[in-house]
Amino acid sequence: MESNEQPTARSQRIRRVMQTHIARRLARALEKWEGKNDALARQEVAKAHEKYQLAQILAKGVKANAMTVATHTAKGIHPDLRIKDVTNLAIRFEELKTLNEVGSHLLNSRESLADTTGDGAYNAAAYELYLLLDCRIDGSTLGELLQADDPDAIDTLSTYSANPAAIASDLLRLLESKCTKPATHAREKQVYWLTGNDPSNDGQYHILVPLYPASLVHQAYLQIHPTRYGEDNHAARKARRDGKAHQGVYQEYRGWAVQKLGGTKPQNISHLNSERRGENYLLASLPPHAWQSSQRYLPVNAKSVFDRSFGARPAVRTTVKAFLAFLLTNPEPNRHTRQAVDDFLDSLVDEVVIYAGELQSQPAGWSLEERYADLALPEKLWLDPERAEWPDEAAFAQDWSRMDWPEQVGKRFANWLNAQLQGKLPVGDAEARDWRRVLLANESWLFAGAAA
Amino acid sequence: MSANRPTQPQALLVFPHLRVQNANAISSPLTHGFPSITAFTGLMWALERKLAQAGTPLHLLKVGVVCHAHDEQVVDGYVKTFRLTRNPVDQHGNTAAIVEEGRIHLDITLVFAVAQASAAVPLAQAADDREQDLARRIADVLATLRIAGGTVLPSRKVPGRRTRPWLALLPEDAEAQAVAFKQWRRQWLPGYVLVGRDDLLATRLAHLRQTQPEATLLDAWLHAARFNHTPMPVAEGAAAPGDGKVRWVDPLRGKGTGWTVPIPVGYAALRDKPYSPGEVAHARDSTTPVTFVESVYSLGEWISPHRLQSVHALLWHADTDSTRGLYRCRSGYVPPAGVDASALDDEEPDFD
Repeated sequence: MESNEQPTARSQRIRRVMQTHIARRLARALEKWEGKNDALARQEVAKAHEKYQLAQILAKGVKANAMTVATHTAKGIHPDLRIKDVTNLAIRFEELKTLNEVGSHLLNSRESLADTTGDGAYNAAAYELYLLLDCRIDGSTLGELLQADDPDAIDTLSTYSANPAAIASDLLRLLESKCTKPATHAREKQVYWLTGNDPSNDGQYHILVPLYPASLVHQAYLQIHPTRYGEDNHAARKARRDGKAHQGVYQEYRGWAVQKLGGTKPQNISHLNSERRGENYLLASLPPHAWQSSQRYLPVNAKSVFDRSFGARPAVRTTVKAFLAFLLTNPEPNRHTRQAVDDFLDSLVDEVVIYAGELQSQPAGWSLEERYADLALPEKLWLDPERAEWPDEAAFAQDWSRMDWPEQVGKRFANWLNAQLQGKLPVGDAEARDWRRVLLANESWLFAGAAA
Repeated sequence: MSANRPTQPQALLVFPHLRVQNANAISSPLTHGFPSITAFTGLMWALERKLAQAGTPLHLLKVGVVCHAHDEQVVDGYVKTFRLTRNPVDQHGNTAAIVEEGRIHLDITLVFAVAQASAAVPLAQAADDREQDLARRIADVLATLRIAGGTVLPSRKVPGRRTRPWLALLPEDAEAQAVAFKQWRRQWLPGYVLVGRDDLLATRLAHLRQTQPEATLLDAWLHAARFNHTPMPVAEGAAAPGDGKVRWVDPLRGKGTGWTVPIPVGYAALRDKPYSPGEVAHARDSTTPVTFVESVYSLGEWISPHRLQSVHALLWHADTDSTRGLYRCRSGYVPPAGVDASALDDEEPDFD
């Protein structure tokens, strides 16, 4: 700032900053109507010109000053929480500790990223006033200057009010917290977190009250949303589908969901929420479906899963290949070799168990289907165990409880493996397993009488 | 008492195939699907308190979760939406405000690392007990608790599925422990274990900054949370594919990169110090300090138990860093030094 600048000159400069800001807001609002000249476009353009006037923003802003500015809101957690009853926070992001985790500490306070929340009807007006008060003049915001009774800043309001100081203090009410004492609510999430190491000691807990990170969510939204509706991503998506060359990347969030906040009245939550039409993107943390078996590996028209389907599985193929390569080096029959053989065997048995789990998760009785008629009984007993619970499957149940099948399945596995390994497997290694323990995951069923 | 609380786990307590109905599927303001891992550390504390009250004191130190099956209550589409329940009207007959709740049904195995809390409940003896009486009694207590807001359905004895809870001593000798772990982990197949992958978030940021020096951790997190399909030029000297089509791949999600997901890992305080007990109105009690927080995020990986070498890899513990106001869960998983892609499946499971 030039020290000899006249107050009026500085006041002019502050005015210019405010006007530039409003011009920028107007330009942004007009952007989406560019090139359109239908009735709706003309109407919206006229509306925008009317809205983005300093006098309008101030007049509406004064009415909206019962709202509050926040980076962390309570209404995002529950729409019934009123701003005068519970704490909403307007954080300066720089004051948060820098962390290795993703959080609001990554944001920049200079970018006017806060939200306005409160009575839904006044959200947009409050938001425009917030943006205006957040304009920067020589490193301070307009709001800060007004708060410090800066005469030049107050002077900028003289055009709009005979008593600019009074209107300044009116406008500033937007920045105040409307809940004077820190407060939470039964409808807010409150988590007990053990800070010590004794869960039974009530004195070692903190209550954590998670607020809705309105600013962070909006920044994430601005990156995620264009992947859904943006033209660039659509073009890239199409190019990928058609196997065409393309400048650019197709971004895809798999399994993502949208959470509606505020129902049909997103403005009841906050202004940024209504800019998002209440649609908030949630990214998927889900694991793969472990039990879903791929159709490719069903033992259709086969006598045994070991005929083809099991060995066709990529993980099995890879391991068998490595196992055979190892055995073909004619390793010394020492402890190291034994361990290696054991590890290979273990991996394959794990694969047997995974494969069985997939088949076992099919609807009980699947082995009754015509296309599995050839499947050997021990394998049916192993892979369709719940069929034993069916009322007219008493014979099946009896065969199951006789418990001959684990040995038989083990033998089948061993035969298959020996064939894969061209007879190189040390004799008896696979047969010697306790197949009953390996395949019979369920000892509780066996011991049902004793342990129930 | 807490001063001489053991920090080393002595035994493993396992609840196989718990069926949880209507667990909370909205795990944070930015993630959905599997409940937050903080729900499981919270469950662990609640369970230890209940056990102490029930006269079965036991220290629960860490928790791990294997997911065998999940059924999120969503409507599929390009973007999923949540299937909502109709809620009763309020006392004046008005419809209550809609708060969208995500729900998921789960089939999970819970693994707790435990230590002996009292000579009256001797672990060695409990582990030896063929009837697994202690584990069964604890399972009864567990069934009364909510798991991530969901209810535990009584487990049905099903042929071919292990559902009986058990407790086993953790061998002190590393080799013996590895041998025991090989048997245990097989029981958790098929399934996926959630492990923490903070390392991948840092790597992704470093990768992005090579071309975008301004990239933030949020950019890196989102970048890693999505697929970035990129058209691949045909390598020099290689034959062009016969169909004339360009192959698109995500160069950072190739073979053996694992099933990486964005996850919430805990909470960060929004002010320097917690409020003193009683200072915050309407807190759940007036004797505990209160802090306003936000969720913080990192990356996790779902990994098949048979890929893990040590039981510690699947266990999480809670960690409070009061100087930074960070309340988060930390995973015991140590990423392998050099990933040997040949040792992994050469086929990733299909999404959905």
